[in-house]
Amino acid sequence: MTTTVPAKSDDRALVRIRGLTTVLSGKTVFDALDLDIPRGKVTAIMGPSGTGKTTLLKHITGQMRSGRGEVRVDGLNVPELSRDQLFQLRERIGYLFQNSALLTDFDVFENVAFPLRQHTKLPEVLIRNIVLTKLQAVGLRGAAALMPNELSGGMARRVALARAIVFDPMLILYDEPFVGLDPIALNQVLKLIRTLNDTLGITSVLVAHELAAIKEVADHVFLIANGKVVAQGDPKTIADDGSPWTRQFFGGEADGPVPFQYPAGDYAQALGFKQGEA
Amino acid sequence: MSAQTGRSNNVVMDSLAQIGHCGLFLLRILASVPRSMRYVRETVRQLWFVGAMSLTIIMTCGLFVGMVLGLQLYHVLAIFGGTSATGSVVALAIYRELGPVVTALLFAGRAGTSITAEIGLMRATDQIAAMEMMAVDPIAYVAAPRFLAGLIAMPLLCCVFCAMGVFGGHLVGVSWLGIDNGTFWSNMTATVDVWQDIVSGVVWKSAAFGAVIALIAVFQGYTTPPTSEGVAYATTRTVVASSIAILALDFVLTAFLM
Repeated sequence: MTTTVPAKSDDRALVRIRGLTTVLSGKTVFDALDLDIPRGKVTAIMGPSGTGKTTLLKHITGQMRSGRGEVRVDGLNVPELSRDQLFQLRERIGYLFQNSALLTDFDVFENVAFPLRQHTKLPEVLIRNIVLTKLQAVGLRGAAALMPNELSGGMARRVALARAIVFDPMLILYDEPFVGLDPIALNQVLKLIRTLNDTLGITSVLVAHELAAIKEVADHVFLIANGKVVAQGDPKTIADDGSPWTRQFFGGEADGPVPFQYPAGDYAQALGFKQGEA
Repeated sequence: MSAQTGRSNNVVMDSLAQIGHCGLFLLRILASVPRSMRYVRETVRQLWFVGAMSLTIIMTCGLFVGMVLGLQLYHVLAIFGGTSATGSVVALAIYRELGPVVTALLFAGRAGTSITAEIGLMRATDQIAAMEMMAVDPIAYVAAPRFLAGLIAMPLLCCVFCAMGVFGGHLVGVSWLGIDNGTFWSNMTATVDVWQDIVSGVVWKSAAFGAVIALIAVFQGYTTPPTSEGVAYATTRTVVASSIAILALDFVLTAFLM
């Protein structure tokens, strides 16, 4: 049975989720999920694979609007927004995709400039300055002329980050930002997330599995399993809170409340052994 | 038997559902056309990609189709002593049928598949989702420019195909087989009707084919499962569905335009 950690009502919450229930292909991903993401902080969402962390980000951005319940971002109930209202909201949200999702027809400069060209009529000189400033922030001003296929995974991630912050958004969502990064790039990305958050006053939400990285950068962590928040707190101490969820997840144990095996029939039978044969 | 029947029923229902989705997708594209006017550069880029880049194959095929048609017709007409009509028959066959249909089949294979593969890969690599997240409508930015480019490029390519076809027929009939040059052209101009054969046959028909191919290509790419296998199937479906649609639509349009 899942023990739910009740969400504390927080007036400073930028994202407020209440009673979110999502069923995908007959599987309950969220079961009346309650969660508050505070303004101006770095919040990490953790949990076993397939637990719906990316799905949660999709609910916050309105990419997925099929669930029941309330998902409020800056006071706006996302599932009820019209397409135009949703697009207006998205102009204030940056999203870093797992695979960077750079536009392959454009070079690095044009990828970062893309949102500016689409939504503003700024003069070319100003666009150039903004783009170079953002690329400088992620350490890739010198790579402005490169095409996406000439970038390493870590560089592509940083370009995507520059594009995500080009409008100085109120909220940035990072989907698995640390996957495939070498220690140098990982350290740089961690510093960037923290710096951007502190200097621009952005609210950051990270979906990640790496506790060591989360401890460095996050102010608050939610552990999601079985469709609910099963633990939350300070990332430096959450692993020691003694609950079976945190013990299994952070200890990497196969046995515990989260089954390692996907539901399946009898193993011996599947291998062709009859009962009592083995 | 019942299982067999059930399965074939599903195939029919799935196909009908697919056609319905495609129709709704067309409405979304048409509704986004005014917004896509902001992306004229993207439409021009696509026009270059599906139109100008298809010129080589269209010109080459047009030339050979005209040449083979001239050769075949010359020998058939010689039986009746009517080789002087070679120019007219080549032109009528190309303007009324072969031009629009062969151009459309080539366009589906050359441009349709690349549109599907490109959009399918954009979906597989989250580029479409990224546009949505940047508050850019991918229907207006990705689908509509490609649809408009197909609609505009097809009649132009068809005109080039027809010109090359007539040139091929002339090359074989006049330069090789010795038909009188004046007879070739005068018979052709006497029998070809500008409105009936060129405007209706070449322009309207090929514009309709262009719209159908571009719609199928964009729809298949946009709705493909985001996997390598999904993209491969989608490109195949574009060619198969476009070819069937072109030939079926050709019959319907010919019946109406005659």
